[in-house]
Amino acid sequence: MRARAAAAAALASFGILALGWQAGAQSIEASKVVGVTNSATGTAGSASSGSAGSPGSGSSASSGGTTAAGGTTGAGGTSTGSTGSTGSSTSGSGSTSSGSQSSASSGLKNGTFTGATEQTRYGLIQVQIVVSGGKITDVQTPQLTGDDMRSDMINSEAAPILRSEVLQAQSANVDTVSGATYTSEGYLASLQAALNSAHA
Amino acid sequence: MPENQPTGLGARTFLAMGTVVSLSAAFPGVTDPQDDGASGSRRLEAAVRVIEADFAALEERFSLFRAESEASAVAQGVLRLASASAETRAVYADAIEWRRRTHGAFTPERPDGILDLSGIVKARAIAEAGRSLEALGLTDWCLNAGGDVLVSGTPAPSNAAQSAPEEGAPRPWLAGIVDPDDRRTLLAAYPLGGTPGCAARRALATSGSAERGDHIWALGGGRPEFVQVSVAAGDIETADVLATAIVSGGREMLDLATAQWDIDVLAVTDDGGLLATPGFRAPKAA
Repeated sequence: MRARAAAAAALASFGILALGWQAGAQSIEASKVVGVTNSATGTAGSASSGSAGSPGSGSSASSGGTTAAGGTTGAGGTSTGSTGSTGSSTSGSGSTSSGSQSSASSGLKNGTFTGATEQTRYGLIQVQIVVSGGKITDVQTPQLTGDDMRSDMINSEAAPILRSEVLQAQSANVDTVSGATYTSEGYLASLQAALNSAHA
Repeated sequence: MPENQPTGLGARTFLAMGTVVSLSAAFPGVTDPQDDGASGSRRLEAAVRVIEADFAALEERFSLFRAESEASAVAQGVLRLASASAETRAVYADAIEWRRRTHGAFTPERPDGILDLSGIVKARAIAEAGRSLEALGLTDWCLNAGGDVLVSGTPAPSNAAQSAPEEGAPRPWLAGIVDPDDRRTLLAAYPLGGTPGCAARRALATSGSAERGDHIWALGGGRPEFVQVSVAAGDIETADVLATAIVSGGREMLDLATAQWDIDVLAVTDDGGLLATPGFRAPKAA
């Protein structure tokens, strides 16, 4: 139970990290990150109570977490699990649930664990951790699609640009003029009049 | 040779909502030498009368400068919003939804708490006028209301069906953007309309913080990061609201807007620098 919890918490934590890395601090992503956190909150809670010294009673703390606190709770559970473990010889890989069935030992189960695939605005993301000697030795994102979407996103960002780099215009070659309302009425009016006569 | 064909391009200007509204419309080149473009001119006159009425109707209801308007009654507390007309409540709901989507950067309330829907009403008037023009069968036009622009088609429509398609994409309307440091000059240009489907943004709106402290205020009361922001979008309301919101909300709102909406943005910082999405970048010269 603890191993499962710790693994789930770790996956969630790294998922959050990866999401953060992916998406920057976009507030649009907040709901998604919260969603990931939520899925691990219950198990994260049990991991941290386990670290308090009573391995058997940890599971009672399920589903107590709140959304924002879940991520930090999960991180705590992870470190506790890794420091306290002696490492089990069992190896395995697969999804979180199958790889962490039941370990009597007090640490992370050795093996490769893959988190659930999460849909983000920028594509699918999936996190994989490798546990060795009760410690997380590697974190990868084996599935990361939507590179084109991501580059689209980057493409549409506003970046510093020199005045010489923008599409240039002179009043002689434009069809109309956009300016802040109110500030430039006189100018707009006169320019528009000039355009009108040019088009007449 | 469409370039040499005398395309009927006319423009008319009228005053509405305290600013200048201009309609330019292009009519396919006249093939009948007897027709000197008078038919296009008549259609333009008729169209202007229709959209003038569109603007007047919204202004009558929403102008805070008219004591008898419904908006004035709401602002003075004489009329409760809940008892206002369905149209007023719809515009208010629309503005509130924009406030939510921009995380408060756009708001229909002035700092003094007075409900001021004029920011969104002008955009609605432009959109309404655009629908009227379409209903009148006009396909190639450019509507400019106080610097907010909505276009359709191209300023150089080809000669009906017999035109050779290999001429390529129709020319877009080219909109100049005023330089906030020197309003007699243009800072940049942006192509609107033209090729359907290919980055065809039909609307361009520019908001500024200079000279109008009561128009846009930065969130938190600070000095705005941007003195002028132009937003090109698929529709005028999105362009107008987001331009206002970015002036008010600064860089954070700019990033939110470019991530969340399909738009192009040109922002002028208070030290004269520019931030731009690729749509404002000049094509690489050979």
